Amino acid sequence: MAGRVGIDVGGTFTDAVLMQGNRILDKAKVPTKPNHLLETIIQAIDALKITGKQALEQITVSTTLVTNAILQGNLPPVELLLLPGSGVKLESFPWPISYQILYGTIDYRGREINPPDQLEWQRLLQKLHQQKNLSHVAIVGKFSHRNKSHEEQLAHYLRRAFPTLKIALGHQWGQSNFYRRSLTTYLNLASNDLFGQFASDLEQAVAARGCSAPIFVLKADGGVLPLSKIRPVESIYSGPTASVLGAMAQSSPSQSFVMIDIGGTTTDLGLVLSGEPLISSSGAKIGPYSTLVRSLAVRSVPVGGDSVILTDGSNFSLANYRLGPAYCLGGPAPTPTDAMCYLKLIQYGDSKRAEQVLASLLQPETRTPEKLRALASSILDVFVERIVREINALQQEWQNEPAYKVWGVLHPHESLNFHLWMSGGGAQGIASVLAQRLHTSVRMGKYPEVSNAIGAAMARPTFSCTLHLDTVLRQYRIEETGEQGQWQGSKRPHKAINGFLEEIVQREAQEKGIVLMDLHKDPFDFFPIVQGFQTVGQIVRGAFHVPPGVIGRVEE
Amino acid sequence: MKPTGILFFPAFDWSLGETHPEREERLLYTQEQLFEEGILDLPNIQQYAPGLAPMAEVLKTQGIFPSPQAQDLDAHLIAAGSALVLGEAWGKGDIRNGFALVRPPGHHAGATVLGNRGFCTLNNEGILVNYLRTHFGVKKIAIVDTDVHHGNGTQDIFYHDPNVLFISLHQDGKTLYPGSGFTHEKGGPNAWGQTINIPLPPGTGDEAFQYVLETWVLPKIQEFNPELVINSAGQDNHFTDPLASMNVSAQGYGKITELLKPDLAVLEGGYSIEGALPYVNLAILLALAGQDYTNVREPDQPRRPHIPLKTLKSYVSELAYEYKQAEPQWNVRNELYLPPGEWIYLPHSIYYDTEGFQEIRHDRVRRCRHCGGTVFIESRRPPEPAKFALVRIPFQACPECAQAGYDLWDTLGGRYQAVLLQDQDRNRIEFWQADQGVTAF
Ligand SMILES: [Zn+2]
Ligand SMILES: [Zn+2]
Repeated sequence: MAGRVGIDVGGTFTDAVLMQGNRILDKAKVPTKPNHLLETIIQAIDALKITGKQALEQITVSTTLVTNAILQGNLPPVELLLLPGSGVKLESFPWPISYQILYGTIDYRGREINPPDQLEWQRLLQKLHQQKNLSHVAIVGKFSHRNKSHEEQLAHYLRRAFPTLKIALGHQWGQSNFYRRSLTTYLNLASNDLFGQFASDLEQAVAARGCSAPIFVLKADGGVLPLSKIRPVESIYSGPTASVLGAMAQSSPSQSFVMIDIGGTTTDLGLVLSGEPLISSSGAKIGPYSTLVRSLAVRSVPVGGDSVILTDGSNFSLANYRLGPAYCLGGPAPTPTDAMCYLKLIQYGDSKRAEQVLASLLQPETRTPEKLRALASSILDVFVERIVREINALQQEWQNEPAYKVWGVLHPHESLNFHLWMSGGGAQGIASVLAQRLHTSVRMGKYPEVSNAIGAAMARPTFSCTLHLDTVLRQYRIEETGEQGQWQGSKRPHKAINGFLEEIVQREAQEKGIVLMDLHKDPFDFFPIVQGFQTVGQIVRGAFHVPPGVIGRVEE
Repeated sequence: MKPTGILFFPAFDWSLGETHPEREERLLYTQEQLFEEGILDLPNIQQYAPGLAPMAEVLKTQGIFPSPQAQDLDAHLIAAGSALVLGEAWGKGDIRNGFALVRPPGHHAGATVLGNRGFCTLNNEGILVNYLRTHFGVKKIAIVDTDVHHGNGTQDIFYHDPNVLFISLHQDGKTLYPGSGFTHEKGGPNAWGQTINIPLPPGTGDEAFQYVLETWVLPKIQEFNPELVINSAGQDNHFTDPLASMNVSAQGYGKITELLKPDLAVLEGGYSIEGALPYVNLAILLALAGQDYTNVREPDQPRRPHIPLKTLKSYVSELAYEYKQAEPQWNVRNELYLPPGEWIYLPHSIYYDTEGFQEIRHDRVRRCRHCGGTVFIESRRPPEPAKFALVRIPFQACPECAQAGYDLWDTLGGRYQAVLLQDQDRNRIEFWQADQGVTAF
C-alpha cells in the first residue's frame, strides 16, 4: 500500500507525518523558518524515514505562505478597477486598498443597465501608460457574477495596449458580494506570482529527491487540491483547518465536538457537528480583507502555551507573543506552560524552574506555596476563560445561522452533545481545567503534537458546484468557477436540470484532477418568474457538493 | 455606535399561489441586491436569524378563530416571530434600530382573524408592539404605516388604545383596496385622535410625502412623545408598483425613513418585484444604518401623472381641516348581560378578499376615563351560525375595566363556539372552546 505524507507549517514548528493507510509510520517536527518556508517543508520531508519514495501516493502541504504574505503586506502592487454601478457608495465600506471607479451598470439578473464609457476607458489607458511597473490589474464589476461582459470587454481593451499585463476578472469568484469579490480577486492576483514560484520550487525539490508523488495543498474549506489547480488565496488559514481534520481523523464518525488546538502563541478552535465541520456562512476574513474564500468556521485566540505572562507588580496578563519556549523548558520568560508544570498537569519541564519564574511574578513576602498555587491556577483560569469566550461565540455563530425558508425555521438545529477534542503541545496541561469549566469530557488523540499533519495527510478533496439558472434570459452561471453560458433547455426545466448540472460536476472534477467521494445533492429551488400574471420562466438554484472530510481514521 | 439589525426572511418556499403577488420570487431580487451590495459587511449592520412567534404573543393581540390550529399560520408565525427577534434585540439595547425584511406581510390582519385578508393573517407590528409592552415595559408607541394601502388591520387592533398612536399614509381608499382609512376614522371613545388617516391622491411623489411627514406626521409624533416608533414599511408607493398608482422613488423611501427615524421597521407590501423592491429595501436599510443612500437608483423613471406640490399642499390642508372637524358619534347600548358601565357599540363588517367572504363584527368598548377600556368583540362568518368572542382587558387597565372583563369572560362561555380572553395587563391569555374547554397560553 502506498504511503501519504502530511505536512503542516505552523508558526513555531512544522509537523510532518508519514502514513500508510490508517497507520502512522513516522512523524517529525522541525522548527519553522518563516522566511524560508520551502526549505522548512523540505526539511520536514527529509526528517521522515521514507523508504521507497516512488511509492508515495500523495504529499499534502498545509502552508502559511499566502497567509503570511497577506498579513505582512508583502504583495506586489495591483491596480484595482471597479465598476460599481449604482447602489451603496463604495466609501461606506472599509477599503484596505485603493481603487479606481469606472462607469457601467449591470443589474441583479445580469442585464446591462448602462454600458461602459469608451471615452473614460481612453483616459484610463493614458493614465496607465504613465504608470511605472504596471504589471497586475484586477477588474471587478458589481453583478459581474451574473454577467461578465463588462469585465471581459475592459480586459480585452487593456490587453491590446499592454499585452503582458496580468489581468484577473472578478466574475471568477461567482458568489454574491461585490465588496468581497473585489478584495478576493485582488488578493488572489497579488499572491499568484509568489505562490506560483513556491509551487514550482517545491515540485522541483520533491522531484530531486526521487519522488514523483503528486503534491496537494490544503484549503481553508478543509479540502485538498493539486498544487497546480488551487487558487492561491484559498490556501489561507489551512492551519486551524488541519487541526479540525486531524481531530476528525482521530475520532469516530458522526461525533459532535469542539476542536481546541493549543499552540505556542495561538489557540485554534473549530466546531464539528455530527461528523461535519461547520462552514463559515460568509467567507474568510484575513487581516483587513473580507473575502469570498470558503472556509471552516474556525477561530483563533491569540494565547498559547508559550504566551508571555506580563505583570505590573499586582496584576498579570497574557501577551499575544512568545519569547521562546516556556521557562521550565529553558526559555526566557514565564508562560502558562510554567503554570501547568508547577501544578503537575504536564509530565515535562523542570518544576524547580517553573516555581522560580512564577515566584518572580509575586512580591517577595508573598511567595508561599499556597500563593504560588493560587497564582498558577489563576493564570490557567484566565487562559481558559479566553478560550471559553470564543467557544461560546463559535456556538452562537452556529445557532444564529440565517434561514430563508419556512422549512428551515420549523426544523431548527437539533441540540447536540458536544465534547471537547484537544490537540497541540499545551493540550495535556489545560485539559482538566477546561473540562471542569465547561462541565464536559475531553478527548485527545494519541498524537496531539502532530495532529495537524495527520489532518493534512488524511484530508479529502472538497467540491462544490452551485448553479444559478435564469431560463427567461437563457443564462446559467456556476458560482465556484465563474462559468457563464447560454441555456438551451426549456423555460421550465424539471428533471433535465439535474443531468445538466451533473455533467458540469463531472467535467469540473476531471479538470481539477480529483475523485469525488460522498457527493451530496442540495435540494433545487425553483422560482417561477411572473410577468403580468403569467409565468414566463424560472430561476433555478441548486448545487452538488462534497463536504470536508477525511479518507480514514487513524489506527491507535 | 450600536448596530442596525437586519432580519431577512424571504420565505422562499411559501406563496399564496404561483402567480400571486405574494409568491416565492417576491424577495428573490432583493436578496440578490442586498447580498451583492455586501450590506452585511457594512460597519454597524448585524444580521439576525428568524424565529417563531409564541402563540401567547399572537393571541395577546389577535383572536384567531375558530382556533389557531384551524388556520395555516406557519409562514406568518415566522414573519411575526422575526419582528419579535428584532424587538428583543432593541429591548435589550443590542441594536440602535432594526429592519424586519420579512414576508408574509401583516398590516391588513386585524383584531379578529377568520382567514387571510389582503395577503395578511398575523399582524407583525401589532404583535411586536404588545410584546414590547409586556416584556420591556414600553408604554407609549407610535406606528407609522407608509404602505400604499390603508393599514386597516393595525388600526382595528389599536383603535381603542390611547397609548398607541397609529398614523397611516396611503392612497385614497376611494381609489384603492381596502377602501377605508378616511380622516374621520380617528379612534374609539377612549382613544379619540390616536388614529390618524392621511389618504393621498394617486400620483403623490417624493416631495409630497416629505411635505406631509414634515408638516403633519412628525409634529404629531413629537407631541405624543412615544418611547419608540415603528414603521410599517410597505413599498407599494413606488412608481412602478403594479397594484397602486403613486410616484415615490427608492430614494424617496430613503428620505421617508431618514425623517421618521423608526426604531423598528417591518416590511409590508410592495409588489414591483423587479423595478422597486431591490432598490427600495436597500435605500431603507441604508437610511436606518445612517449610510448614504443617494446612489441607490432604480433603472426606470417615473412615468405616471405627477401631482404638483402646490396642488398637493392645498389638498393636504383640506384634509387637515376635515380631520380637525371630524366629531365622534357614539352609539351607547347598555344591554342587560353587559357588566356595569357605559358600553359603546360599533358594528361593522370585514371583507376577506383572499378567500372571498364576509365577517360580521359587533364591537363594544367600555367607556373609561382612566384606561383604554375593556373591549368585547363578537365575530361571525355568515352563513355559518358559529359565533366567536374576544374579551380584551387593556394594558394599564383600571380595576373597574379589569373586573368588567372578567365578568364577561365568566358569563360568555355557553353562547359562543370559542372565546378568547386577552388580559394584556396581567399577561393572562386564555382560550375557551366549546369542545375543549379552556387552554391557557
Ligand atoms: Zn400594500
Ligand atoms: Zn378603565
